[in-house]
Amino acid sequence: MTSYGLVIDQERCIGCHSCAITCKQENNVPMGQYWNRVLTEGGDHIDTPSGTYPEDGDGGNLEMKNQPTTCQHCANAPCVKVCPVNATYTRDDGIVEIDYEKCIGCRYCMAACPYNARVFNWDEPEHVPEEGTGDVPARPQGVVEKCTFCSHRLEEGLDPACVVNCPADARIFGDLDDDDSTVSEYIAEYETHQLLDEKGTDPKTYYIRGEMTPGRPWKGKHMEGEDGETSTADVEAATERVPHVPAGPEGGDD
Amino acid sequence: MGETVTPETDEGVVLPSFGVAGKIWLGALSVLLVLGFAAWIYQLQTGLVATGMRNVFSWGLYIMLFVLFVGLSAGGLIISSAPKFFHSEKYDGFARLGVLVSLACIVVAGLLIIPDIGRPGRLYQFLTSPNFQSPMVWDFGIVIGYGLLNIWYLWLLTRRDLAARGSRLALGVEDTEAGRERDRRLLFWTAAISLPTAIMLHSVTGWIFATQVGRGDWFSPLVAPVFIAKALVSGLGLLLVTSIIADRYTRFEANHEELVSLGKILGIFLAVHVVYLLAAERLPHAWADHFGFWAISSEFLVGDTVYFWLWTVLGGAVPLALLAVPSLRKRMSVILTAGALAVFGTMFEGIRLVFTGYQGVNIDASPGIPVGGEYAGVTTDIWATSGSYTPTLIEIAISLGIIAFGALIVTVGLRFLPIQKPSDAATYAPDGGADE
Repeated sequence: MTSYGLVIDQERCIGCHSCAITCKQENNVPMGQYWNRVLTEGGDHIDTPSGTYPEDGDGGNLEMKNQPTTCQHCANAPCVKVCPVNATYTRDDGIVEIDYEKCIGCRYCMAACPYNARVFNWDEPEHVPEEGTGDVPARPQGVVEKCTFCSHRLEEGLDPACVVNCPADARIFGDLDDDDSTVSEYIAEYETHQLLDEKGTDPKTYYIRGEMTPGRPWKGKHMEGEDGETSTADVEAATERVPHVPAGPEGGDD
Repeated sequence: MGETVTPETDEGVVLPSFGVAGKIWLGALSVLLVLGFAAWIYQLQTGLVATGMRNVFSWGLYIMLFVLFVGLSAGGLIISSAPKFFHSEKYDGFARLGVLVSLACIVVAGLLIIPDIGRPGRLYQFLTSPNFQSPMVWDFGIVIGYGLLNIWYLWLLTRRDLAARGSRLALGVEDTEAGRERDRRLLFWTAAISLPTAIMLHSVTGWIFATQVGRGDWFSPLVAPVFIAKALVSGLGLLLVTSIIADRYTRFEANHEELVSLGKILGIFLAVHVVYLLAAERLPHAWADHFGFWAISSEFLVGDTVYFWLWTVLGGAVPLALLAVPSLRKRMSVILTAGALAVFGTMFEGIRLVFTGYQGVNIDASPGIPVGGEYAGVTTDIWATSGSYTPTLIEIAISLGIIAFGALIVTVGLRFLPIQKPSDAATYAPDGGADE
């Protein structure tokens, strides 16, 4: 079985919001809505550090932390359990997805989601440009929508858009059931946590904080810096092994 | 109101004709109905952006009032079925009016869900693709079941009298001594089904909220018992209000002694709901936080919102005090006021519940959550780190329209159904008709 999961290395995250923007473009997300957002922890506003500025020789303690947040694709998803009409469901590969044909727009799932990952089309969705962007059809007024782990890209053997377009390689996507996948290796190797894990939702999104990982493309036998030297062969092998999802007939990363 | 109608055909009907005041009342209800319907058409065209709800605060007035009206539907059914279950004739004079009011309230509750739905055209998915894990599906089933039960109960209570009057509403049932005996047995069994159904209705509605881990105070095992308590408070409050108003303005004759004793029961329900359950909910957390008399008492005496105070003081302490003073609680005006305040307070308890779920968010880092529906060019601030909500006029108009429909059900019921229980059922002859 495949069970897709995402690892986000918050030490690598530079807070550039590329994942948020590329998600919006790829998934044709209406104006005024986001499926994927990068939150700033600590500061009063977006992209503001917590702590104080060093003044008069006093040591400041400014710190900038980013919290990229989107649908966590919970294994025990409250939204799936509350949906009265089975419009939100868990796929066999663990992705929590919405059948926009079934959705009646009752918004019980929005009440259920502890992460506020879901958005509702309160009016006729507006797209710029008007014909929309990306490869996903627009959703109508009156339904709830959210991140799909770019399931339309996975079908073609491509990583989700936010993963591919992260310039800091902070997002690693793959099969949690495959022990040799990068996500599994990173979860085994590094200290990870899940968002609001006390809620018992068991998200398939893991966050790494503390020790920085080698990042997405580094998939050689050794973790970066582990044994002091990384052979060129490892790097080449790693480069070849992208994408991280089982490649389809047309597979290949862009 | 009209005094010139033949008693023969209007036996038991408390509103034999509408009269001038009645027609003004009907006209006002019709205006509200039309306005509400127009507002709903508008909302269908523009989308739920016409409401005050947004992504962070995604349920509003419709759900708050749904909770209220589910609770209000408890009163009549419980007051009429509980004595019947124990073979008591007590409060029997209120049974018909009570069940009529219950029916109207559950219809209002069910209708309030429809404007809350983003795509009402897909509501059939409840039948074609139900998810039996969802408390909303349980509630959907039980609201409909409860509505049907009320219709059956009301018909069972009145069908022999309808038959005696030769009304077509008797649906061919005849008024015979044996039939009345059979109906008494059926009423016992209906009461036996009604009580657990009512308990389930309020519990399931509570569990819609109580099962949610992501919304603060909603996730509490006390929510379902609190829903039952507030159903008893508001349901009985509404029954008292309608009984006293009907007693004053129609031919409905309420037994004043029983009204006083129902008022006392309302006081007990209020004490359980507003004093005991509130304390039981808050004391453990307060105790665990900082142990000390003042710390504990301030923890549950100092509420956070104005809704809390409207509920606990105006809807709790004041009616409780009115009903506690022996010289006051015998006056009809005091019982009326206490009942109205109980209903009023319960409404704010529901509003408070929804607010506690949506005001705070679990992950409130900047910039927050896109609220949706607010985009008006690149400079729009679409973010929020907490929920805020004010209902729009559209929401208020739609809600008032639906409530007016409920009032219309009660009015029409008073006009065409024998709501007044005949003073002595045994005086009925097998061939129908009654002597007074």
